[in-house]
Amino acid sequence: MAASAAAKIAEVRETTRVERIGAHSHIRGLGLVDSLEARYVSQGMVGQVSARRAAGIVLQMVREGRIAGRAVLLAGQPGTGKTAIATALATALGYDTPFTSMAGSEIYSLEMSKTEALTQAIRKSIGVRIKEESEIIEGEVVEVQIERPATGLGTKVGKLILKTTDMETVYDLGGKMIDSVLKEKVQSGDVITIDKATGKITRLGRSFARARDYDATGQQTRFVQCPEGELQKRKEVVHTVTLHEIDVINSRTHGFLALFSGDTGEIKPEVREQINGKVAEWREEGKAEIIPGVLFIDEVHMLDIECFSFLNRALENEMAPIVIMATNRGITKIRGTNYKSPHGIPLDLLDRTIIIPTKPYEEKELKEILSIRCEEEDCQMTDNALTVLTRISKETSLRYGMQLIMTSSLIAKKRKAQEVDVEDIKRAYQLFYDEARSVQFLREYQQEFMFNELEEEEKMEVN
Amino acid sequence: MSDWFTKLKNAKKSCIIDGNLKKIHYDFGDGKEMVEEYDLTTNCVTRRAWRYKKDLKSESAWEIEVGDPEPNYNVEEKCMIREDPSQPFVSRRITKKSLEWRIRNLPYPVDVYSVTIEKETYSLIVRTSNKKYYKKVLIPDLERLGIQLEQENVSFTHKFNTLIITYQKPNKLIEFEKALFEEIKQIQPKNYAEDVNNCKPS
Repeated sequence: MAASAAAKIAEVRETTRVERIGAHSHIRGLGLVDSLEARYVSQGMVGQVSARRAAGIVLQMVREGRIAGRAVLLAGQPGTGKTAIATALATALGYDTPFTSMAGSEIYSLEMSKTEALTQAIRKSIGVRIKEESEIIEGEVVEVQIERPATGLGTKVGKLILKTTDMETVYDLGGKMIDSVLKEKVQSGDVITIDKATGKITRLGRSFARARDYDATGQQTRFVQCPEGELQKRKEVVHTVTLHEIDVINSRTHGFLALFSGDTGEIKPEVREQINGKVAEWREEGKAEIIPGVLFIDEVHMLDIECFSFLNRALENEMAPIVIMATNRGITKIRGTNYKSPHGIPLDLLDRTIIIPTKPYEEKELKEILSIRCEEEDCQMTDNALTVLTRISKETSLRYGMQLIMTSSLIAKKRKAQEVDVEDIKRAYQLFYDEARSVQFLREYQQEFMFNELEEEEKMEVN
Repeated sequence: MSDWFTKLKNAKKSCIIDGNLKKIHYDFGDGKEMVEEYDLTTNCVTRRAWRYKKDLKSESAWEIEVGDPEPNYNVEEKCMIREDPSQPFVSRRITKKSLEWRIRNLPYPVDVYSVTIEKETYSLIVRTSNKKYYKKVLIPDLERLGIQLEQENVSFTHKFNTLIITYQKPNKLIEFEKALFEEIKQIQPKNYAEDVNNCKPS
């Protein structure tokens, strides 16, 4: 009995997902006007006007889609909004344009070579828009039945009853389908379409017949007519897949299932060549359209010399996406060599890139960003506290300042205050060290730490 | 004769004889393949299936036009969503005089159903007055030859939870099938038994 109650609670949790707040979740776009001029504060972006304007021009270049294989480098000190600009660019590009985000260190894997990882990343950033006829099921949900076995283990059994104005049918659901039905929170009265091959569920709206079920409905609730005729239809749908997805589908006998299992391994170059040919053919016939996207490589100085020379070559391909790189390094060693170069990137690649610098934020901008973050993290703060926090961020770093928002708001909550005041910030500032104070602390108490009795033989190399 | 006939004539054909059945494989060369299975005692098509080359996926499964569907094993694992086995399903059969459809698992009484023709799409539309079942059944045989549908050729009965729809074959279709069968007789089957015996396992 208790076990079943617990299972029920777990189920309820499953269906109400919490929106989590990430470091850049307040960004909704680049915040530009139509003439690509940057607004000072807009769509979650603050300051950095010239860099944003430059990013807007890059955005235009991607949208036009005629120029292949350009590289853009975002260079600037830590915490000056490089990743924020890239995130903004991704959101501004919209849903249909592929945007692949990776960190430079992601390519080092035991399962595939560095160049393979890079090739896959590049191919993930090129979309192909294809028209294809596919079988869909379109109807109004009459009932959803999902039962889990009494033991709590084993596979779930699901049934979905759908109807149109002319018919009604019971469908059996597979395991994956049950999950997506739960995730989409499909309930009776919804009008949905299901792609039979991929199992993708799209909710069209609520049926008019159910318009009076609730007194209050959300603003975004759309009411639609119950579909007519047969439940199963053949429809021409336009969908965007990436070249990488086509590679995977064709490289294995078990087809697209490999996409879900994640085990893609290395893909033979012959397969890629064949697909390039095929795609070019479709393009000529007008069946497909190529959408070059964006590949964003964060911490690009983590790539080594082999990757850079590979990138040099890959960018020359006419199917190449626009590559945006970000780095916070100055003149430093190129990984894998003993040569020094600006940003840790070889000069020949640097020569091919356009460089967008980001500058440290002004105090006014810091304050604006902090107040946006406060809003995002659902935290009320007095003006005085915000000024203090801005000062702290100015002295230490913006990232440290942002960490203090949540911590001090929790402290304020403990003393049952509505707003975060200077006191709370002070307390959080004392509790949590920033980097400079931590170093200071270590200098003072170095002697008492572990392994300190060993003589320092050689100085650690820091670059 | 019709386009469809010349298309069949030009297709790359091969056949085997398996007991009482003659199976013919047509390769149309444009990524489409068709297989027909003739019963040699009645000279009627017992099965017909199609396969299309798709753009993205390497190859799709056979689509059954006439005859029973392929048995599908361990569907549970592969399938995302499918109709419950207790739901109505259509199977097609061709006899000497008529084209037949059987819709099984339909428990409603006979006066509920209505079957009408839709000329533009060469299809029959099955409706139920209780709004529980609706189906548009295509008649590709007639569509390929461009023969207009006639409402008076349609009749249906209901027995053992099954709705049987019969469409009288028009004369044009009967003639076409005769001509095609003459064509098929010409294809020399590879002797199945001999082939198996000649197989040299490396």
